[in-house]
Amino acid sequence: MSQAGSKKGAVSKLNKNAAINSLIVFVVLLLAWVAGFASRLFAVIRFESIIHEFDPWFNYRATAYMVKHGFYNFLNWFDERAWYPLGRIVGGTVYPGLMLTSGSIHWILHLLHINVHIRDICVFLAPIFSGLTAISTYLLTRELWSSGAGLFAACFIAIVPGYISRSVAGSYDNEGIAIFALQFTYFLWIKSVKTGSVFWAVSAAVSYFYMVSAWGGYVFIINLIPLHVFVLLLMGRYSNRLFTSYTTFYILGLIMSMQIPFVGFQPIRTSEHMAAAGVFALLFAVAVLKYLQSMMSKSEFKSLVIWGGLVSAGLVFATVVGLTYAGYIAPWSGRFYSLWDTGYAKIHIPIIASVSEHQPTTWFSFFFDLHVLIPTFPAGLWYCIKHVNDERVFVILYALSAVYFAGVMVRLMLTLTPVVCMLSGVAFSVILEMYLREEDSTPAIENEEEESSQNPKRLYDKAGKVPKIIKHESKEQDAIGQNIRSIAAVVFVLLLMLFAVHCTWVTSNAYSSPSIVLASYGSDGTRQILDDFREAYFWLSQNTADDARVMSWWDYGYQIAGMANRTTLVDNNTWNNSHIALVGKAMSSNESAAYEIMTALDVDYVLVIFGGVIGYSGDDINKFLWMVRIAEGEHPKDIRESDYFTEQGEFRVDAEGSPTLLNCLMYKLSYYRFGDLRLDYRSPSGFDRTRNAVIGNKDINLTYLEEAYTSEHWLVRIYRVKKPDEFNRPRIPVANRVIKSSSFVSKKSTKRKKGTIKNKPVIVKGKRPAVKLQ
Amino acid sequence: MEQFFTFPFAVLEIPPVKLKKPSWLKQPSPMVVFSLVLFSYFLVTGGIIYDVIVEPPSVGSTTDEHGHSRPVAFMPYRVNGQYIMEGLASSFLFTVGGLGFIILDNVHSPTMPKLNRYLMTAIGYICIIVSFFTTWVFMKMKLPGYLQN
Repeated sequence: MSQAGSKKGAVSKLNKNAAINSLIVFVVLLLAWVAGFASRLFAVIRFESIIHEFDPWFNYRATAYMVKHGFYNFLNWFDERAWYPLGRIVGGTVYPGLMLTSGSIHWILHLLHINVHIRDICVFLAPIFSGLTAISTYLLTRELWSSGAGLFAACFIAIVPGYISRSVAGSYDNEGIAIFALQFTYFLWIKSVKTGSVFWAVSAAVSYFYMVSAWGGYVFIINLIPLHVFVLLLMGRYSNRLFTSYTTFYILGLIMSMQIPFVGFQPIRTSEHMAAAGVFALLFAVAVLKYLQSMMSKSEFKSLVIWGGLVSAGLVFATVVGLTYAGYIAPWSGRFYSLWDTGYAKIHIPIIASVSEHQPTTWFSFFFDLHVLIPTFPAGLWYCIKHVNDERVFVILYALSAVYFAGVMVRLMLTLTPVVCMLSGVAFSVILEMYLREEDSTPAIENEEEESSQNPKRLYDKAGKVPKIIKHESKEQDAIGQNIRSIAAVVFVLLLMLFAVHCTWVTSNAYSSPSIVLASYGSDGTRQILDDFREAYFWLSQNTADDARVMSWWDYGYQIAGMANRTTLVDNNTWNNSHIALVGKAMSSNESAAYEIMTALDVDYVLVIFGGVIGYSGDDINKFLWMVRIAEGEHPKDIRESDYFTEQGEFRVDAEGSPTLLNCLMYKLSYYRFGDLRLDYRSPSGFDRTRNAVIGNKDINLTYLEEAYTSEHWLVRIYRVKKPDEFNRPRIPVANRVIKSSSFVSKKSTKRKKGTIKNKPVIVKGKRPAVKLQ
Repeated sequence: MEQFFTFPFAVLEIPPVKLKKPSWLKQPSPMVVFSLVLFSYFLVTGGIIYDVIVEPPSVGSTTDEHGHSRPVAFMPYRVNGQYIMEGLASSFLFTVGGLGFIILDNVHSPTMPKLNRYLMTAIGYICIIVSFFTTWVFMKMKLPGYLQN
C-alpha cells in the first residue's frame, strides 16, 4: 500500500481498493457458483444423468414436446394420454416458465451448433440456476446491509441443504428456477423502493412476470410486497418513492401476470390477490390525503379524514363482500386456506394432506436443512430490527412470514431458506467485522479512507454505522484484542467448516437419490442398483398396445406417461379429486366391485408398487390408507376407513388384519404369489420385509385379472385386466353349437396314391457349384 | 369545497364523546418487537404447529427386556416425527445459540466495564458452543448415522 500523504496517491489507492474489492466479489461469487453446482452433482455421478422423482418427469415430457412441436403447439396441447377419459389441457394448466427457459437454452445452444440433448439441459438446469440464485441473493443482501454480508449470504445459499433439496441435478422442477426469480424480484423491488425510479419498478414487474410464469409461489410475492408497503404506511414512512414504485409495480405486474394462461383472470378475481389491490387503493388514499393536508387547515382535514375514512372503508368492504357473494371474487382456495387453519387440510382435503411434503415441520427438518444458520438467523434479525430502515422492514416481514409458513409445511422450507441465508450473512458479517478487522490498529487517516472507498460500493450510508461503532471503541479494546480475536476466528471458522461438512453430508445422503433408480448397500459396502421402475416401464412401452390404459395410484402417473408413454387415469396433477377417488375406490374394493369400475374406465392394465421383497417403504400398501381416505371422501357408503383396521384400531397385513383389507384389490395385487416366496432360510414364506409380518392371505386367486409382469425385485407388478369373454364364456345350448368343419379337401383320390404335403418346400435342382481345386 | 366535507355534520350532530387514543397503543420499541419475534421463532422451530396438528405425546416410552416401561425422549429415525419435549428442547438450544450471537455483539458497547466485558464474551461463546454441540448430540440421537458414511 502506498503512502496516503499526497492526493494523487490517495486517488490511485482508492481505485486500487475498488478494484480489489470487485475482484474479491467476483471471485467469491464464481467460487460459490462452482461449489453450488458441484455439490448438486452427486446423483449424476453415482447414477447417471437422469430426471428424478415424479413431477420432473412431466416437466421433462412437456419440455420435450415443446422443443419438438414449437411453442404455440405446446400452448394448445391437449394431452389425451392423461386423465383418461377426460384428458388434460396442458397448455392452460401449466406454468410454462420452466419449459420456456430450458427450451430457449436449447434453442440458443443449437443456434451455436452445440448439440446438447434436451434431457441434459433439463437435468443440469437447476444446478446452473442455483448459481444465479447465489448472485441475486448477494445483490439483495448488499442492498439490505453490506457487500460482505452479501458474499456470506451467497456462499450460504449455494450449499445450504434447504435449497439443494429442490435443486439437485435431475430434479427438474419449477422451484429450481423460481427461487432465483423470487430473490431477483425482491432485489429489484428493494432497489426501486430505495431509488423511487420507474426503471427499477418496471424491472421488478418484469422479473415478477417471470416468477409468475415459473411457479405458483408467486402468490408469496404479491402478498409480501403489499404487506411491506402497508407496514411502511403504518410506521409513517410514506414517501413519493414508495408511491411511484408500488403503483408502477402493481399495475404492470398485474397486467403481465394475467398473460399467463394458467393464471388468467385470477389476479383480479381471487382472494389471494385482493390484499395487493387493497393496498394499492390505500396507497392512493394516503397520497391524496397527504396532498390535501398541505392545502387545508387542521380541523377541516380532521373532519375530512373521519368522514372520508368511514365512507370509503364501508364502500370497500361492501364491494368486496358483494363481489364475493355474486361470485366475481373467488374465496380462498383450499390449499391457501390450509396455510392459516392448520387443521383444515386434514379434515377437508385428504389429497393435500396425503402428500408427505405438505406435512407440518418438525425441529429436525429445521436443523437438517439449515444447520448453523438456525441460531444465527435471529441474530441477523436483531441487527435488522436495531438499525431499521425502509428495506430492512421488508426483510423482517419476509423472515416472519417465511418462518411461519415453513412451520406449517415442510415444503415451504424452501421459501424460508433464502431469507435465513441473508440474515445469517448479516450476522456473520457484522460479528466477523468486529473481531477480525486488523487494520483498526492503523492510524485513523487510513481508516477514513477505507470508509470513503467503501461507501460508494455500499450504496447506502446507514449501513456504515456498524463499522463506525467498532472504530470508535477499538482503540480501547486493543488490550484484550489479540487473544480474543484469534479465538473468535477459530470458533467461527470451525462453525462454518462444520456447516459445510453437514451440508455436503446431507446433500449426498438425503437429497441425491433419483428415486426411480434405487441403490442398496451390502454389509461389505458393495452397491446394488435396483432398476425395477425403468425395467417395468420399459416393459409397458414394448409389450402393450399403444393405446392401452394403465391404472395406478396417482403418484406414478407422470412416470408412466413419461417413461412408458401409455395412457394413465390419474397423475400427479391432482386437479380432479373425484377421479382419483374412483381409482382409490377400485383399489380398496374387492375384486368384483373393482372390476366394474375398471371396465367402466376401460382399464387394460393395473400397476402396483410393492416393496415387501426388498423392504422399500414407499410402496402402495403403505400409501393404502390414503387411498381409502380419499375414496371415502367421495363414496362414503361403499368405503369406510374403519373397515380396514383391526378391532384394536391397527393397520395390519398379517393374519390378524381385517378381512376387508385381506380381500381388497390392492392387497391381492401386491401379495399375489407372494405366499409361496421364501426370501431366506430364517424367515417363513410370505414374510413382508417392509411391514415385518407374515402376510395373512397366502393363497390369492385372481378371477378378473392376470399377472402380466413382475419386475426383478418385485418392486413393480403389472396385471392385465381380462376382457369379459375370457373368464365368463356364456353357455350355448347344444342345438345351437356350430362345429367348424375343415375346408381342406384332400387331393388324394383312388387314382393318385401319392400323398401331398401341404406347403411342401420345393427343391429346385441346380448345378453343383464348381469346387475349387487345391 | 368546504361544504362538501362539512355537509354530513349539518345533518348529524357530533356526539360529545372524547375519543382518546389509548395510552398503550403506540409503536412498539424494537426490543419488544424482537422479543416477540424471537419467542414465536422459538415456538415455530420447535414444531409447535406439528404438535397442534399431529398431537404427539410429550415423551414417548418403550418397554425394555425386563418389561419395565422406560421413557424415550427422542423419536429415532423418524425425520417427520417428534415428541413435544424434544422439539421444545432443541428449539430452546437454537434460541440460546441466537442469544449467544447477540450477546457477543453487545460486548462492544463502550461504557461496559472490563470485567463485564470478559464475562459477557465468555457467556456468548459458551452459549454458542453449548447450543451447537448439544444440537449435534440431539442429531446423533435422532439419526444415529449422522455424519458417517
